[in-house]
Amino acid sequence: MIAELLNTLWVSSIYSLMSVPLTLSYRVTKIINFAHISFITYGAYVAVIFSLLLPLGLIETSLIVFLVVAVLAVLNHMLVLSPLMSRGTNVVTLMIASMGSWIFLKYLLYALVSSAQKVLRVDLFYVTPNIAIPSTIIIGEFRVSTFLLISNAMNIMTLLFLYVFLMKVKLGRAMRAVADNAGLAQITGISKNAVLNATWILTGGIAALGGLAWSLSYYASPELGDNVILQVFACSVIGGLSSIPLTFAGAFVIAFAENILIAWLHTYLGLDVSFRPFISFLTLLLVILIRPPAGGGGGLPYRFKLPFRGDKKRSTS
Amino acid sequence: MLSWSSLFTIYSILAISLNLEIGFTGISNFGKVAFYGIGAFIAASFGIWSFLLVFRLAYPLYGLNTIIALGKIAAANPLLNVTVFFVSISLSFIVAGIFGYLITYPTLRVGPAFLGITVLSFGELMRIFLRHFKPTGAASGLMGLPHPFAWINDSTMKSALFVISALAIMVIIYSFSQRLVNSPYGRAMKSIREDEIAALCLGKNVLRYKAQVLFIASGFSGVAGALLVFYTGFVSPDLFVTSVTFDIWAMVIVGGMANNRGAILGTAVITFIDRLAAILNFIPWFPLDPNILRWMITGILIIVVLMFRPSGLLPERTLKTPAWETIGLGSKAISTMERGRALVSFLFKLMIKIVDWFKAGGR
Repeated sequence: MIAELLNTLWVSSIYSLMSVPLTLSYRVTKIINFAHISFITYGAYVAVIFSLLLPLGLIETSLIVFLVVAVLAVLNHMLVLSPLMSRGTNVVTLMIASMGSWIFLKYLLYALVSSAQKVLRVDLFYVTPNIAIPSTIIIGEFRVSTFLLISNAMNIMTLLFLYVFLMKVKLGRAMRAVADNAGLAQITGISKNAVLNATWILTGGIAALGGLAWSLSYYASPELGDNVILQVFACSVIGGLSSIPLTFAGAFVIAFAENILIAWLHTYLGLDVSFRPFISFLTLLLVILIRPPAGGGGGLPYRFKLPFRGDKKRSTS
Repeated sequence: MLSWSSLFTIYSILAISLNLEIGFTGISNFGKVAFYGIGAFIAASFGIWSFLLVFRLAYPLYGLNTIIALGKIAAANPLLNVTVFFVSISLSFIVAGIFGYLITYPTLRVGPAFLGITVLSFGELMRIFLRHFKPTGAASGLMGLPHPFAWINDSTMKSALFVISALAIMVIIYSFSQRLVNSPYGRAMKSIREDEIAALCLGKNVLRYKAQVLFIASGFSGVAGALLVFYTGFVSPDLFVTSVTFDIWAMVIVGGMANNRGAILGTAVITFIDRLAAILNFIPWFPLDPNILRWMITGILIIVVLMFRPSGLLPERTLKTPAWETIGLGSKAISTMERGRALVSFLFKLMIKIVDWFKAGGR
């Protein structure tokens, strides 16, 4: 039981690292960025390739991963999303454009990795970063995986950093202002462009840390991001694509469902363990049915019936 | 050429159905591949199981003996074979359509972003489910579905007949969707795309319209899946990865949204790139894997077209309804011919006015 609980914690920290930036970027920029999936994969591969080339410790690797993928995210914003936004395109078009950059980045990675494989003469598919860390340490009577501690520490540090940044730092507060009402924020003198760039730096960097945590715990492959699409989106939808604490909770819920709930279902109902993704998808559907994010994704909020029931006015946002 | 034209037909059916969704109604369906896969698997399993049941064969589902036996049966019974072909196509239309209708219940109540996410996840889920589902052969898929025209000995003739029947189905679907979007129903779809709340206020049941469109379009993608199965003869869950959805989207975007002819043109462009990559495969000194290059080109094409020509190669046309004729030439969205005619009539009126002015003595 304790082992399962620890496993849940481990997986939930990785999912949280991957899905919190998705929520953040959606909240600020109002774009569902499918290229997010590529950021995760790139995080894993930047770690793999740099750790092969240079003798790096964990902290240096994380810094490099953060920076490289942050640059990638800002480039994605500057070259793809920002020109389209300045032309006044709608949400769906931006989604499609980010999908285009997702597919381009994914296959660019395939090309890069296969050519790096030829040059370096090392197998680069299904590998872990070459960082010298003992895989387990002994705490008291338990033998605990180091990677569990690392990913949890990364997650907690990221969340603390985000809290301090969004609540205390001027740029973070400007970010929240833009998220709530971009027009009003610009009237008060906030530079929207700077805020968007900062958002993309954070998004790319944190998502890449998620990829790094995953590749340390399991392995890196160019399909890494694609394999966790369902879980990451489910976590973010539980957070309503608007609340970071709820997204964190969602990551825990999804990890719980995938580790403990499926084990119970397996023992008591005889459900096959391979039906794990169904639980995530069912959670996603349930959340959309029970607690539909009103006006979420720029659409028509179908809870519009509520305010007309009785005289009491209720806002739908 | 024949293989290209069968793939082209299958993909143009998919592109037309996606165009119905995103081009005319504004439903961002990122899970096209799920309905395509459902159609394919329904057709394959129906075909194989019906043969096995009719002839009371106790072969295992996945094996060389089964494939040989099915091929023999198909060659001996042309009528049964063709019946199975058409019945499984209609069955996959219905089943995929029902799935499309069901997915609308939770998703249409939220905005396009959530819809996109959910349907995309549904596509992935479908693939994972099929990988673990034993009755359809799990990860290895189903094999040995006989060609619908297996009783003909000449192989060129066989594939030509297949292409002709697939083209016939495509023409039916094309003309159906053309009729649909030019009808009052089509105009309601367009109003939903432009402004949901306005459509709601005009008394259109937005949810029901969207669900019906998803039913029709998903059914069409199911038909495309069934055709794919009958063309290749086998089906496996790994054919239906998310990249296929990108392909269909790229076709619709390149060709032009809300224009069925554009969707077909886009299909031609993308399948041409695909063929080109297949030819590059034979060049040994080519540094990159052409398949990877092809996907990168597709990704860039999506972005470039969205940036520099958002309306696609063939932009949307104005509908020539009676109401439009009476309103006249008020809008910017008129064809060049119409504009030329307007210019000529304007010049004519100007001339008459000038002549009148001179007649009146220049006052």
